[in-house]
Amino acid sequence: MAARIERSRAGGATWTPSAEAERPTWGWIWQAVSGALVLGLVTLHMIANHFVVKQGLRDFQDVVAYLSNPVILVLEVLFLFVVSWHGLLGLRAVIFDFGFSPRTERRITRVLIVAWVLTVLYGLWLTSTVIGYK
Amino acid sequence: MSEQVRLRGGEPGLAAPTVPGASRPVSPRRRGPLGWVDVRGRRLGSWAFILNRLTGLGVLLYLYLHLVILSQLARGPAAWDSFVSLALSPAFLLLDVVLLFGLLAHGLNGIRVTLVGFGLVIDRQKAMFAAFMVLGALVLLVGALRIFTTG
Repeated sequence: MAARIERSRAGGATWTPSAEAERPTWGWIWQAVSGALVLGLVTLHMIANHFVVKQGLRDFQDVVAYLSNPVILVLEVLFLFVVSWHGLLGLRAVIFDFGFSPRTERRITRVLIVAWVLTVLYGLWLTSTVIGYK
Repeated sequence: MSEQVRLRGGEPGLAAPTVPGASRPVSPRRRGPLGWVDVRGRRLGSWAFILNRLTGLGVLLYLYLHLVILSQLARGPAAWDSFVSLALSPAFLLLDVVLLFGLLAHGLNGIRVTLVGFGLVIDRQKAMFAAFMVLGALVLLVGALRIFTTG
């Protein structure tokens, strides 16, 4: 699937809307948006969890204290939602490269959405369990 | 002036060979994942595409390993703290450097792919790719030093 990009007369770039294959897919747009979010969140996550921590890893007590900070909690949970979404959407793009029928592709999409929901639920369970140790 | 850019299931067109009026870059290569290992007619854009796919899959694999390992937290202080001492061994630290490489290569190349996908900087892709990879190498170097020197 190819998309044609042209410079408009105003100097900016626009999508040529003519042919069926020449629009960005919803998957691609979501991938770009989630990718931008992941970029910021993963940078924060790596710095906050490893690069400013003595020895690069918190012991149990410090993990509980860290996650008990409401701002941190919101950022880490947001990171969980977005990074698993971005990763599974990327996996979908790789799987789709094998060239399946539209029906199979829809099925794969459903399976990956279920996988995303399960991942998020697991992460939320784990987070609440850890905070419960406080 | 127009340029072909593959959005899904193909390479972002870093100077991919095109024929006027053709709907996709002309290439003798296989399509689909088997095409990734076919080196005929490869350009820089193809390598960037493969790098992005492989680092993406690697980082996704790491994400799930990471989530599984974090389950040690649910088992309480003793389980977690014994994992921490294991994770501070040199072999694990080396894996951290590999992870940092994957994150930097994928994240920085992702910025390029996104800009190009939205029609920005399409005529400076090679320079942008090179600049991002140099930046990534520098951050990787600093990060690796930090990983092995902080105690």
